[in-house]
Amino acid sequence: MKKIVVALVGQPNVGKSHLLNSISGANLKVGNFAGVTVEKAEATLLRDGYKIDIIDLPGSYSLDDFAKDEKVTKEFLIEGEYDIILNVLDSTNLERNLSLTSELLELDKRMVVALNMDDEAIKEGVFIDEKELSELLGVDCIKTSSLKKTNLDVMVDMIIHTVKEPKKAPKFYYSDAIEDRVEELVSFMKSRNFKLTNHSNRSVAIGLLKQDRTIYKMIHEEPIYAELLPLLNNTLEKLHIQFKNRDSNEIFADERDAFARGACLEVIKNNKKNITSVTQKIDSIMINKYLGIPIFLFLMWGLFQLTFTLGQVPMDYIEAFFKFLGDTAGEFITNKPAKSLIVDGIIAGVGTVLLFLPNIMILFLGIALLETTGYMARVAFVLDGFFHKFGLHGKSFIPLVTGFGCSIPAYMAARTLKSERDRLLTMFIIGFMSCGARLPVYVLFAGAFFTPESAGNVLFAIYVSGAFLGLIAAKVLRLTVFRGDDEPFVMEMPKYRLPSVKLIWFTIYSKSIMYLKKAGTFIFMASIFIWFISSYPKNIQIEDAYTNKIETALEADKNIISNEMKKKLMENTYLGFAGKAIEPIFKPLGFDWRMSVATLSGLAAKEVIVSTLGVLYSIGSEIKEEDDALKNIISREIPFASAIAFIVFVMVYLPCIAATAVFTKEAGGKKYTVYLVLFTFITAWTLAFIAYHSLLLLGY
Amino acid sequence: MLLSEVQTDKKVLIKEINADAILKKRLRALGITKHIKAIVLEESLGKQNIKISIGSAEVALRASEAKQIEVEEIK
Ligand SMILES: Nc1nc2c(ncn2[C@@H]2O[C@H](COP(=O)(O)OP(=O)(O)OP(=O)(O)O)[C@@H](O)[C@H]2O)c(=O)[nH]1
Ligand SMILES: [Mg+2]
Repeated sequence: MKKIVVALVGQPNVGKSHLLNSISGANLKVGNFAGVTVEKAEATLLRDGYKIDIIDLPGSYSLDDFAKDEKVTKEFLIEGEYDIILNVLDSTNLERNLSLTSELLELDKRMVVALNMDDEAIKEGVFIDEKELSELLGVDCIKTSSLKKTNLDVMVDMIIHTVKEPKKAPKFYYSDAIEDRVEELVSFMKSRNFKLTNHSNRSVAIGLLKQDRTIYKMIHEEPIYAELLPLLNNTLEKLHIQFKNRDSNEIFADERDAFARGACLEVIKNNKKNITSVTQKIDSIMINKYLGIPIFLFLMWGLFQLTFTLGQVPMDYIEAFFKFLGDTAGEFITNKPAKSLIVDGIIAGVGTVLLFLPNIMILFLGIALLETTGYMARVAFVLDGFFHKFGLHGKSFIPLVTGFGCSIPAYMAARTLKSERDRLLTMFIIGFMSCGARLPVYVLFAGAFFTPESAGNVLFAIYVSGAFLGLIAAKVLRLTVFRGDDEPFVMEMPKYRLPSVKLIWFTIYSKSIMYLKKAGTFIFMASIFIWFISSYPKNIQIEDAYTNKIETALEADKNIISNEMKKKLMENTYLGFAGKAIEPIFKPLGFDWRMSVATLSGLAAKEVIVSTLGVLYSIGSEIKEEDDALKNIISREIPFASAIAFIVFVMVYLPCIAATAVFTKEAGGKKYTVYLVLFTFITAWTLAFIAYHSLLLLGY
Repeated sequence: MLLSEVQTDKKVLIKEINADAILKKRLRALGITKHIKAIVLEESLGKQNIKISIGSAEVALRASEAKQIEVEEIK
């Protein structure tokens, strides 16, 4: 079967990923803000005996390498192997999109242009004459809509057709003043029989004249370089004199923009100037200078209220279900260790984690809405002034919000930040944005120590104070480690779009499945492990001694002694020993050894914190009382001040191992990982210490 | 006048961009160059950030960047 590799290129937020999903059935991430795709992704479709590999690339406004994600695109376009470019444009913003198109034409590759968002163009009364545009560009253009799935098959046929046909010469030329210079270089290269694989001499010449770094690097390694250099200097000088401008890049960009403007004038017919658009009306409220921040805070508060109130309903059922499961299993299994494994190990561990599935779903609903409606960029706008005071970039908001879901994609999302320093700084504080896996801990503790009415507020307070601590940490880091000038804040604000229910549902569904899978595999194993090391070795002597004591004790004392026995037994297990060993570290924070163990096991994955607590407090819990939900056990056995210190610690300390690995990769250096570990651990410990002792002083 | 001084809902023509090469590139990438019309749509508290419409897109800027853009008010 013949293979076609397609490079999917376009400006950010024009619907590239959505288009690819629509034609291939892939499930790439789609969102209504610039910078959703930050890394190459691939999808394949089979058609007419061709295997078509489409590479989705991060959106890029132009081919000047700017942010790390845009570099991925440029690198692929210049150095990667592909047969054809599929350039996706936003039909409602043709002029700016055509600037990139004309830059792509310089690469001298086969190309097809998709005029996407045609449905919106129709609504806005923009009519594009695609035949004429095809003529002007010398490449085939087609109107598409990834949303309404129009013309997608025709577009694929067009791609196959273009690959089969011999390559057409480009139709886009610069003015003579530039083309003459290009020709000088091209004819020189030709006279030396020079040709780079995958690059036409014309595109190399243009790259050199634009003083493009990537092209320079490539030519630099060629023997021709020495001879070419004097000629190039001479040509550049001529160019600069002629245009009275020393910035070659700008000379080229000016001409491309002029071309794009001219093309638009010719091909756009009947452009009814839209009066105030819906987006502008919505924004006059959402980012109003007085209302913007309150509205944002209110929405966030609402989400956490919802997490509690709405989440509680299914939680009650899940809790009842696992209690029933535990009781039934307990009745049927007679073998004592097996019973303990199933009831105290697996059901207590996995069940505790599954209990929080509804909360996780609501949280991801919130994040999905933020990402798909277009509100994300607005919040970045509203918060930029505030963020700026703490040395952060408004755009940092995007990775930070992603961090509320999971730190791993958040570290990746930081790639959209242009400055390396901003990117690292943001990555350091992503951990302060409590990830979804920590939500169960908060829900558990908020539910255990606060009334149901205030639990939602407590949750909101936890998240807000986490974010605040993050900002303060950012300021500290900015003043000490990541010093330097401010980076400019220039960001596109997308139109508000109604998210499709399907898309939102898919996001929540896939996150839930991930959570369930994790509970079924990782958490399952971890629970068994924790159960094992907290039940063995069995200590017969203690058991015997206490059994005698209990028999001879007064009826009233029996419970107390039996609890004492459990505690003693547990202290003499593997975990008990380990817990004792680390207790000194956590003692100043008011943690008992079980909490200490839970924090450490949480490094594997944050969900393991609650499963560990579930197992430990289930094995060691007092004689069954009426209500033995974990929440109630915890509120009985953990002092309030310790609980708060625990929350604070969990809020700040190191992200899980998987996230730390991604951090190391994205930060590009092991030393940063060492800094991160020290920084988060020390901060977490210090803050928890302060919290614990202040509460003790206050008499809690 | 400078773009940072323009009142909301006023239409302007961009005369000159006095930024360094990197910012200039970035502004151009988003459609902000000489001879282009823009409207200031929203501003944040204390005018720290503004939102302008440029062509058919909307772009947010910080005041410090808007200060580097020279404009002229038009009808
Ligand atoms: N109305 C309409 N909306 C679309 C269409 N294509 C995409 N969208 C929406 O536009 C937004 C951006 O889509 P994406 O596919 O994430 O854009 P992208 O080009 O991959 O963006 P980056 O990855 O950031 O470069 C999403 O909200 C999509 O739902 C379309 O044809 N019509
Ligand atoms: Mg994308």
